Amino acid sequence: MNRFEIIPWVILFAPLGAAALVLFFGGLSKRLSAGVAIFAAVLTCVLSWMLWFTPLPAEGAGGGVGIGWIDLRPYGCNFTIEIGLLTDYLSRLMLLVVTTVASLVFVYSVGYMAKEEGYSRYFAGLCLFLFSMLGIVLAENFVMMFIFWELVGVSSYILIGHYFGKNSAAEAAKQAFTVNRVGDFGFLLGILMLWFYAGTFQFSELLGATLPLAGGNSWILAIALVLVFCGTIGKSAQMPLHVWLPNSMEGPTPVSSLLHAATMVAAGVYMLARIFPVLENSPVALTVIAWVGGITCLLAGFMGIQQNDIKRILAYSTISQLGYMVMAIGVAGNGEVSMFHLVNHAFFKCLLFLAAGSVIVGMHHEQDIWKMGGLKNKMPFTFLLMGMGALALSGVPPFSGYFSKDLIIEWAWVSNKGLFWISAGAVLLTTLYTFRLYFVVFFGPPRSDAAKKAHESPLVMILPMAVLAGLSLISGWPILAHYYIHPAHPEGVPFFVSLIIYAFLLVGMVLAGMLYFQGPKKDPVLIPFFANRFYIDDVYGWGVRVLQGGFAAICSFVDRWVIDGLVKFSAVVAWGFGFLLRLLQVGNLQAYAFYFGAGAILLFYLLLAK
Amino acid sequence: MNPILLETILVCVGFLLLLAEAFAGGVRKSVFGYGAMVGVFGVFVLTFWIDAAAMNSEAAYSVYYSADDLAVFFKRFVLLATFCVLLMAVEFAPVLQKYLPSSAGGAGLGEFYCLPLFACAGMMWLVSATDFIMIFVSLELVTVSFYVMVAYMRKNALSLEAGVKYLILGALSTGVLVYGIAWIFGILGTTNLVGISQAVAVLPPEKSVGVLFGLGLVLISLGFKVAAVPFQFWVPDVYQGAPTPVTAYLSVASKAVGFVVLMRVMDAFFVAPYYGDRLLSTVAFLAGMTMLLGNLAAIPQTNFKRLLAYSSVAHAGYLLMALASVASGGAGYAIAFYLVVYLIMTMLAFAVTIVVSKSLGGDNISDFNGLSKRNPWLALAMAIGVLSLAGLPFTAGFFGKFFVFVSALDAGLYWLVGIGAFSVACGFYYYLKVLRAMYWLPLSIGESENTRCSISLPLGALLVVLVVLTLALGVFPSPVFALMP
Repeated sequence: MNRFEIIPWVILFAPLGAAALVLFFGGLSKRLSAGVAIFAAVLTCVLSWMLWFTPLPAEGAGGGVGIGWIDLRPYGCNFTIEIGLLTDYLSRLMLLVVTTVASLVFVYSVGYMAKEEGYSRYFAGLCLFLFSMLGIVLAENFVMMFIFWELVGVSSYILIGHYFGKNSAAEAAKQAFTVNRVGDFGFLLGILMLWFYAGTFQFSELLGATLPLAGGNSWILAIALVLVFCGTIGKSAQMPLHVWLPNSMEGPTPVSSLLHAATMVAAGVYMLARIFPVLENSPVALTVIAWVGGITCLLAGFMGIQQNDIKRILAYSTISQLGYMVMAIGVAGNGEVSMFHLVNHAFFKCLLFLAAGSVIVGMHHEQDIWKMGGLKNKMPFTFLLMGMGALALSGVPPFSGYFSKDLIIEWAWVSNKGLFWISAGAVLLTTLYTFRLYFVVFFGPPRSDAAKKAHESPLVMILPMAVLAGLSLISGWPILAHYYIHPAHPEGVPFFVSLIIYAFLLVGMVLAGMLYFQGPKKDPVLIPFFANRFYIDDVYGWGVRVLQGGFAAICSFVDRWVIDGLVKFSAVVAWGFGFLLRLLQVGNLQAYAFYFGAGAILLFYLLLAK
Repeated sequence: MNPILLETILVCVGFLLLLAEAFAGGVRKSVFGYGAMVGVFGVFVLTFWIDAAAMNSEAAYSVYYSADDLAVFFKRFVLLATFCVLLMAVEFAPVLQKYLPSSAGGAGLGEFYCLPLFACAGMMWLVSATDFIMIFVSLELVTVSFYVMVAYMRKNALSLEAGVKYLILGALSTGVLVYGIAWIFGILGTTNLVGISQAVAVLPPEKSVGVLFGLGLVLISLGFKVAAVPFQFWVPDVYQGAPTPVTAYLSVASKAVGFVVLMRVMDAFFVAPYYGDRLLSTVAFLAGMTMLLGNLAAIPQTNFKRLLAYSSVAHAGYLLMALASVASGGAGYAIAFYLVVYLIMTMLAFAVTIVVSKSLGGDNISDFNGLSKRNPWLALAMAIGVLSLAGLPFTAGFFGKFFVFVSALDAGLYWLVGIGAFSVACGFYYYLKVLRAMYWLPLSIGESENTRCSISLPLGALLVVLVVLTLALGVFPSPVFALMP
């Protein structure tokens, strides 16, 4: 094992070690907890950059270092699971994004969490999250990915429920976990189905193993892949399992920024990019993915324009942007188009959340944008940095969002005109809700006392935001981007497509300016249907209450009167049988010798009676 | 190093300790226990230096003694089991002392530490034996040592009774074994397993029935050894009556070598399909009965050692299931892995039982009541032990069962897997009874939470090692595969 084979293992396990240290010794001092956690994050970041600059392994060499976890092949049984880390181009790129963003968020957390409860528990949770996330990134097979996928879910649960004393936080954590379970169930089924038909969990072998399926009987492959895609629907908050993400905003803001905007929710997209060569063989699966992404991207945008909680607006924008990425998997010619937007989005969305966190701290934990206003003078740095984030999110050139989002929309044009209009329309919505947020928070008159007394955040919070702002400015520039990504460009896209996108962008911005720049006291536009999120949450609530409640009542009835009866009956039978056997056990030697003889006769009967 | 030196050294250590014990009057008896442990551990270390090529292929012993991978693996297994048993024996000495004729300062304890060495040497020979004569002689060495050890607590009626039962039924089974060997020898003219497998391959069918009869007798005797139903009736009484370390020894090492001999004997007959099919279907039937009966009969038990006795029968059933699927390829790995896991978790359960029974004077399940309040860590160790015995994921026991079931599925024994699944479910019921006693039931009346069980340092260390192994192998079982034959 040479130096470069050890690096991935160190990257993976450093955060776990830090999590254990913080958990056990974090009580000693706050400074120690934060220090250990930040050290681990920065270490993984440095190592990831080192890994990035080491030459890629030859094609087909696997590029990973694996150890057999369970390998029964030497014993004539075709069953093997490896624990191995994949360090190909895709995982290296994702490592860079995750560790860089994580390091910045860890540092920012020192400022944000300074006065909060559960300081070391928070950092232990963050470290656990980082470990799990890196596990997903480095996993070389579906089993490992699924394990870490669930671990990410656990750490997300822990972090959303950080203020578990608050009922809404505990509920949100529970909901995030449960909703994800729905998606993960499909994911697991998909993994098992692929394994059943292709006989492998390994990503490196998957393409070759699924090729036979891609031919005549492509429905099997399509169903398996759509089931796998269910994992993405859950984790990346696509319709119809998007409801948990806005509620997850109950967690501390840095958590929202790292987990629920930049990295964890992107894991679903990463997974799709990872199996993209297989997806390509199934046009049906690609179509499903594209439409789920497209619809999510548009509807989340509609919901976003009528929210009043600063973090929820950003949460819907996250869902919408994830929709773009998922759609890109479905429409674009290679997985890197989606990854390009993932990288850019990670930077600017993380920035936006951190800025929102800065506003929230400045406002003493007020999150309603209609209680803010005029913060541009009180919080000049946050104002500036969030402006950069907003421009990047809207896709204004030369900010990074422009390059990747335009590319995706152009691919949509090539692939399907319906998807094109949906995704282009979402640009208008994106711009509208982004600048609605920006104008209401930073311009106009202060709308509450807290807004009048707002103050700028400390340097430890501003600096990570500044770094991210720099990254969101430059990460999309073709001159720089070609060093790290090579998204395919569609051919034959007429010039007016770009004009349409610009037009939507401008209309959105002008609309936001007209409606919100003057500093209205309350929202001049009221669309309850959007504000209430199309009543999807209510339908789910009703469904859970009535359907699940009713079903539970039936289950309870069956359980009590049928299953319990069966269980008790079989328990009594088993017990009685055991008791009878016990009677045989008389303790009498002669009896035992007799049984022995009887047993011998039985055995001879079995052996000789053929 | 010549492999046969291993057993020789071990027997010499045993004799030396016996002699030293006779002449060194004033020495504390536990010294001999530790001496025996050092001897066992030394031999264990030596197993890594043996070289099968050093055996003189001209020498007479080379036809009945083999030092193949299987043998070496199980020699190490037996040595480790003996080491654990000796450690527990030292811990158990005060209880033992109560039931010895002379209760004065350790009188009569010395032999208790030497006997396991002889039994261990016998088992090491047994796993190497490739000839029925060798199998018989070493089996007798093991059994005779066990007769003495089981009946060691001479003033305890239960222990004496167990000893007598074991002696008489054991003698019966030995007789059956000899009879079987005689039949096989009478028809085939050889007792050597290699010779037998050559002879049965060319044997005319009309003579095969006699060989099959002989084989049946051997199977009965070995079934008795591994506690397969319907030859398991001695197990509960003997397990309950014997001193606890001896029970552990019986249930782990004795059973394991029984399976090794079974594998070797069955292997010799597989060359002829006439035997192979009949053997496998018989073993599969025994497996089904053993799993069912072991698990069902365990349910109403109230004594923990008796419960473990039935659980030991049940585990023999799972092992037989793997044995029944041995023809489809290497189910041997499943047996070997299961035995390793079984060693770890059974030793864990018995070690905790020793601690509890030493402090509280009993080994009923009710003696575990409220243990979590007295000794939380001890209760946790026991909890991990019984959960592993039940086969919960993330414990070693899970992978043990998993591999057995995988190999049975590979062999197409679906009905047996069904019975196995049902048995495992039953298993959860009675194993969790112990958990319930420790964590949910209140202490018995008149006992206070402050009477803690004291754990000596060596036994505590053993417990920690066993717990760590149980959990580690439950997540990552590969290291065992690396050592496997």
